[in-house]
Amino acid sequence: MVDSYRPKDLKDALRIRGEYGSTPLAGGTDLMVRYQSWAGTLPLFTNSVMFVGHLHELKYIKKIENSLEVGGTATLSMVADHPDTPRVLRDAVLSIAAPALRNNATLTGNICNASPAGDSVCALYALDALIRLEKNGSSRELPVVEFITGPGRTLLGKDELVTAITIPLKNSSIDNFTKVGTRRANALSKLSFTGIADYKNGRIDSIALTFGAVGPTVVRSVELEKKLLGLSRAELKAGKESILSDYSTVIVPIDDQRSTAVYRKKVALNLLDKFINEVADYE
Amino acid sequence: MGSNIALKEDDIKGVKMAAKISIPVLRIDAREKAGGWTHYIADYEFDNLQHGRFLRSERARAKIIEIRKPDFPEGYYYIDASDIPPGGKNNIQMIKDDWRVFADGDVRYIGETIALILGPEKQIVLDLLNQIEVVYEDLVPSFTFQDALSCKGGAIHGTDNIFAEFLLNIGDVDNAFPGAVRVVEGVYETGFQEHLYMETQGIVATWEDEKITLYASSQCPFYIRKSVAGTLGVPLGDIRVKQAATGGAFGGKEHFPDVIATPLAVAVNKIKKPVAMIFDRIEDISFTCKRHPGRISIKTGLDRDNNIVAMEIDTLVNGGAYESSTPIVLQRAIIHGLGVYRIPNARIHGRAVATNTFPSDAYRGFGAPQGLFAIEMHMSHIADEIGMPVSQFKRKHFIKTGDITITNAKMHDDVKLPGMLAKIEEMSDYSEKVKKYEDDPLRGIGLSFVNHGGGFTGNGEQAVIKGVVKMKRLEDGKAGLYVSVVEMGQGLQTALRKIASKELELDYLDIVYDNPDTDIVPDSGPTCASRSTMVVGFLVQECAKKLKIKWDEGVGAEAEHVYTHPEEFVWEQETLQGDAYPSYGWGVNVVEVELDPFTYEVKTTGVWAVWDVGVTIDETIMQGQSSGGVIQALGYASIEKCELKNGAFMQRTMADYTIPTSLDFPEVHTVFIDNPYKYGPSGAKGAGELVFDAAPPAYAEAVQNAIGKRIYEIPVTPEMIMEALR
Ligand SMILES: Cc1cc2nc3c(=O)[nH]c(=O)nc-3n(C[C@H](O)[C@H](O)[C@H](O)COP(=O)(O)OP(=O)(O)OC[C@H]3O[C@@H](n4cnc5c(N)ncnc54)[C@H](O)[C@@H]3O)c2cc1C
Repeated sequence: MVDSYRPKDLKDALRIRGEYGSTPLAGGTDLMVRYQSWAGTLPLFTNSVMFVGHLHELKYIKKIENSLEVGGTATLSMVADHPDTPRVLRDAVLSIAAPALRNNATLTGNICNASPAGDSVCALYALDALIRLEKNGSSRELPVVEFITGPGRTLLGKDELVTAITIPLKNSSIDNFTKVGTRRANALSKLSFTGIADYKNGRIDSIALTFGAVGPTVVRSVELEKKLLGLSRAELKAGKESILSDYSTVIVPIDDQRSTAVYRKKVALNLLDKFINEVADYE
Repeated sequence: MGSNIALKEDDIKGVKMAAKISIPVLRIDAREKAGGWTHYIADYEFDNLQHGRFLRSERARAKIIEIRKPDFPEGYYYIDASDIPPGGKNNIQMIKDDWRVFADGDVRYIGETIALILGPEKQIVLDLLNQIEVVYEDLVPSFTFQDALSCKGGAIHGTDNIFAEFLLNIGDVDNAFPGAVRVVEGVYETGFQEHLYMETQGIVATWEDEKITLYASSQCPFYIRKSVAGTLGVPLGDIRVKQAATGGAFGGKEHFPDVIATPLAVAVNKIKKPVAMIFDRIEDISFTCKRHPGRISIKTGLDRDNNIVAMEIDTLVNGGAYESSTPIVLQRAIIHGLGVYRIPNARIHGRAVATNTFPSDAYRGFGAPQGLFAIEMHMSHIADEIGMPVSQFKRKHFIKTGDITITNAKMHDDVKLPGMLAKIEEMSDYSEKVKKYEDDPLRGIGLSFVNHGGGFTGNGEQAVIKGVVKMKRLEDGKAGLYVSVVEMGQGLQTALRKIASKELELDYLDIVYDNPDTDIVPDSGPTCASRSTMVVGFLVQECAKKLKIKWDEGVGAEAEHVYTHPEEFVWEQETLQGDAYPSYGWGVNVVEVELDPFTYEVKTTGVWAVWDVGVTIDETIMQGQSSGGVIQALGYASIEKCELKNGAFMQRTMADYTIPTSLDFPEVHTVFIDNPYKYGPSGAKGAGELVFDAAPPAYAEAVQNAIGKRIYEIPVTPEMIMEALR
């Protein structure tokens, strides 16, 4: 049996994390599944566990200037309910599981689980979210694309905790989050897509395109996005085929028990195609 | 025509059932179940309970060279074939007894029980299990129909891998085909399906009063008794089985509990302590029986007037590594092979093959859904080929009362299909929508017709089951009902009480009907084959009539009623000729869909069902059966993908094996027509499986009409649709 800790506040939590490197457990909706064993026996944790879901200092969500700051233990329901939550993130969060789970599971947990099928992650990549990591005495902030390094892998230090997620709030005229799940509710993603775009003086001023569950991490290519910046509606329309063919080289999904590589790729490109049309047709 | 009848306060208090049996009453088990008070097997408490876990084969086909075991601490046991007492057998007595209690020397499928590890502490049991090392020598496994028929790696069963082979024939197919001006062919495939009952498999075997007693989540307590007695080599009466509240079954708790009960009984026989085996969900999905996959090839000849002159069908079902009920499933598949149609010359060749996959077994419909999917899609493909509306082509071939069936008997039922078609047209606007969606690339609508024979095939009720029911006058003006059929969510506790109370002119709440205990109730047969209401319910009705006559003898007055096969139905089992079923339930479904052109996801926008189940014993219960059966079938037809990878199921969690939620399908608009059957209680016929049969072809046809490509296979996944549209 492993040790478990229930820190009284954030300071205590950072101390325990620094001293023992205990695994943080927030809602436990990933961890308890990952380490499940025969019902009636203890879960298969090998490392000590520290409960963090109750930490009040981190259970908040608020708008600060031009950003939305989501505390490290804020639940998915809190994110879905906040009026300033960007629409793609709200849609993504509401596509996760069912209300009872969302009341318990945290946004941090969805990010730290680092699954390429993590639904909020697809949106957070497109929103340029920043992850705040704290340890006893210091803190740093990393873009989510850098924080997540592979399936189940992040740059979270052994002594660090995620204490906040900062989402820059931009005015985006066109946005879309689509999840293709194994059914219509309470389903895991076969793939997901987020698109955000805006025009200035008739030319694309900002664009973000991300794809979930089609590679080892959520896929976003800033390079390919750059090629779209400055395009007019007509140019975008004319260049659609070449954009799709560019993206077809970065979307490299696999076959698994939920879907096929061919389907994932085809549908990801279909959703991109649809979004480009929406952007090009935007008045 | 039936309608939704609202539950009134008076009904809830309990109504006298003399008048209209269909008026809904409050289900006797509703409050307890909805409130979470019902105790299922995992909630039972026993002193000194031991916990068991199976050591399972990790190979699909291999020799066991050696099993390396750690030292077992005091009180922990490794139970295997060597613990079966003298006089017993390492076989599970189902229909055949080829399925072994413990694999011995070799393994034939992934998950096969090799041994039972048990003891007081679960964690220690688990640690012991993890330390056991089985050394295998792999053999060449066989998984597909092709593998099985070519005896890849050598035969698994007999010399040819054929569990059962049947041939049905009417008319003269060989002479009729040359007269055909057009021939249409197709091969139709259906997949595995997991039952996903809400409560997983679970049994506790105990030693009570010098007797092995099993508490089981099960459909068939007497099946368990038979298999356990066979394994231990003791008289049936030495084994007692008490049914625990059963949280869903769908066929999955018909024979499979025997696979758990027999090793547990071997252990209890040895250690004389209670042992529990409750499956976790992943274990349950990975290592329990599924619906038989089917591959059905159909060839049809048509004359100049587009009448079918001949049909030839080749039916294959995959039985997996052991036979279990596979031959009977195959019989259903072929006897329902012509669907609801009168075909003058037809031949159906059916084979059930052995493979190194988990043994397939009973699942709501029992072979009929596979056969009916094939014939319905085929009829739709023919209609497409000749350019005739599907409804018109199918109607033209409807079987009628007195027509000859595939088993060379007369159709005795009063067939009301034309009226049912008219009704569903009116409800769904089917024909209008067919026209409207003709050129719509995203919308489609499908129509299907089915029938389902109630009760055991042929004279099985007489020759095999010989069901018995008993009733007794109790204190306080109550009556006891003693039957072996069980409540498993289908409402039987309520339905049988209503049937009995109607005859006795009692309140249905005054009928005492406990979960069956094989030491108390007579064997009225298993809870399966759509027989519980129709066949056992009729015995209850007749028994209640007898008790009514004796009622004035006072408390203790008893009556018994034994099944007798109605004389007008004849059957020859050897040749499968005669009246395959005394009556059929009939059904028509319409399903309407809309395709997402970007993701190929299908949204079902409408579902309609018209059923002839004779008479509904309770309108609300039957509405529940219709909704549940149709939606379970729509899951089978759309999202319930269950694939094998090297002999193991790939979808093993509820996240990966998904069944429909309430958001996946809309309300099922259901209507029942009245068509009383004279040997059913108040005219009721079998209904539990019928309601599953019709939706898959209606769904597939709707998708087919939307995308403009023929569909030959279910589940129709978005992946398949994408491929079809490429
Ligand atoms: C039935 C069910 C359905 C689901 N459906 C979906 C779905 O549709 N889409 C989807 O994306 N996910 C789904 N999930 C997965 C899961 O619910 C989410 O990923 C959820 O957001 C995890 O949050 P949590 O708080 O429960 O995480 P936990 O399980 O507590 O933790 C997850 C990971 O985050 C780490 N962690 C947690 N808090 C911190 C912290 N403050 N600092 C550092 N590390 C931390 C943990 O150590 C662990 O590695 C589902 C899960 C279940 C059980």
